Amino acid sequence: MNTRELLSRFHAVASDPRGQMKKYLEAGERVVLTAPVYTPEELVHAMGLVPMGAWGADMPLEGAKEYFPAFICSVMQSILELGMKGVYDGASAIVIPSLCDSLKCLGQNWKYAVPAIPFIPMTYPQNRWGRVGTGFTRAGYERVIADLERATGAKFDPAGLAESIKVYNAHNAAMRRLDEALAVHAEIGAAQRSDLFKSAFFMKKEEHTAWVEELLAALEGEEPGAPKIKVMTTGILCDSPALLDIFDDLGLHIAADDVAAQSRQYRTDCAETGDPLDALAEKFAAMGCCSVLYDPDKKRPRTVVEQAKARGAKGVVVALTKFCDPEEFDVPFIKRECQAAGLPVALVEIDRQMVNFEQARTLLETFRDVLE
Amino acid sequence: MLFAGIDVGSTTSKCVLLSDGEVAGAALVDMGIGTAGPERAYSEALAAAGAAPEDVACCVATGYGRASWKGADLTISELTAHGLGNRFLFPEARTVIDIGGQDAKVIELDAGGRMANFVMNDKCAAGTGRFLEVMAGVLRVPIGELEALAAQAEKAAPISSTCTVFAESEVISQLAAGTPVPDVVAGICVSVASRVAALAKRAGVKEQVCMSGGVARNGGVRRALERALGVPIVWSAQAQLAGALGAALHAWHKSEGQRGEVKYG
Repeated sequence: MNTRELLSRFHAVASDPRGQMKKYLEAGERVVLTAPVYTPEELVHAMGLVPMGAWGADMPLEGAKEYFPAFICSVMQSILELGMKGVYDGASAIVIPSLCDSLKCLGQNWKYAVPAIPFIPMTYPQNRWGRVGTGFTRAGYERVIADLERATGAKFDPAGLAESIKVYNAHNAAMRRLDEALAVHAEIGAAQRSDLFKSAFFMKKEEHTAWVEELLAALEGEEPGAPKIKVMTTGILCDSPALLDIFDDLGLHIAADDVAAQSRQYRTDCAETGDPLDALAEKFAAMGCCSVLYDPDKKRPRTVVEQAKARGAKGVVVALTKFCDPEEFDVPFIKRECQAAGLPVALVEIDRQMVNFEQARTLLETFRDVLE
Repeated sequence: MLFAGIDVGSTTSKCVLLSDGEVAGAALVDMGIGTAGPERAYSEALAAAGAAPEDVACCVATGYGRASWKGADLTISELTAHGLGNRFLFPEARTVIDIGGQDAKVIELDAGGRMANFVMNDKCAAGTGRFLEVMAGVLRVPIGELEALAAQAEKAAPISSTCTVFAESEVISQLAAGTPVPDVVAGICVSVASRVAALAKRAGVKEQVCMSGGVARNGGVRRALERALGVPIVWSAQAQLAGALGAALHAWHKSEGQRGEVKYG
């Protein structure tokens, strides 16, 4: 397959998660939904279940409004909406972490709005370090395991988790190499780049790794396209095709990202030695530079600047998910750090219900003019 | 040879034609995107210049409806256009506040006149020309009379700057409580100014500050904004044409690499 065909394959999965889920269900697999932002997919994978990312969809929100107040994250609302509309029918359970207040609301609402799919909470500690922090995280994992066993009948085995950790580490490594390659290959558009990351949520990781390796091999044999204006994106989500098309129209190349649904997922590996459950808790403790992970030193803004500079990005686009408090708290720090480093910042407010992107286009077009 | 700039806004269409660095013709039509306004503005500007469409060497469109203007050789965002237009009107300008029909923007220019930073309001009518239109409708006074009414106020009535819908019911409540209309109008101007001042402070206010767009004509808002920001604000009688002027300048620069001064004829 050539690069174009490989990209189409990723697009097909990214744009049809329901079709992908149906395929697994028809093959006799059991699917467990994993909600944002960091859910211990390795546990689900280790029990022989298929973890399927549930990050919502761009859609009108109707039923979810019965359960949520108006001014709350539309990612959470659309996950509930999809559940209520039966799009997730067939899933054996949903694991929802406690990483922000909106996620906590989603878990509690899910129990009543979508009773057919059991809700499994993953309660993370605020302070995730040290014996107490990792012990708390481990207790959360044990609760998830017990609930998964109850909901699916599958059994947990530490040896299976050790194998799954290797699968996930290999996937992380492949995604990091892909991210580096995409920084060079400006001919791959912003929406295509998004497909590569988004599809990872809807496939078994060993399958996705194999596809990514194929794409990397194809890209190695190709001359990168003409350079464009490099920018970096940061935020929770940046997957709207209409928004991403604007980047392409304006000749903006996303050369790096600090997006929770994209590169942030693949920064941290898990130790492959010792007790695998402890290793997984240590992995969570080692993660950082994310708005939903307690960060008393505010390291994220510095990391954004360093990453942007390293990739030659001329500016940073903050894709701010509307009503996302954790991200909103980080924005002033990111702006200040970027401006001190001479990196212009554009703030684009996004949500899952956007139908008109004209304001975003004007903003990005002006930002392009600033960068030029 | 003419260089055209057309600014297709949400409520008005503006056109400026440049010839040898001078404004050869300009027009403003109170009809925006989705109407015959852009065509009329273009035709009227050509008529004012005594020119024909074939005399136009390059046309740049800007504004909310820039993509819908089929006669454009190029398009630029309205922020870029207002930055260019105002810098030519006010060579010392470092901050441009543009309050248009449906949004507000603040543009920071560097010492060389290049756009260094900008902020736009979120999707909300508060702090925009639309807010003034709605309030003028509630008060049943022509929008052009708001400035004169605000000047008669003894004390501005408190009006929320958060939401146009809430503010509308606040205005009705003020009228029901017997607050004089001039005081209500002054409160409305303060409300717009307070919203836009907050936006400007996010961008960073550097003098000289100039005001652009249709709302610049409203002295009540201008003065309230000066008080809120604590700096004088300059404005031009051509403020509403500044976006079209910037687009025309862009057409001229792109075509001939000119950097000369523009003079209104």
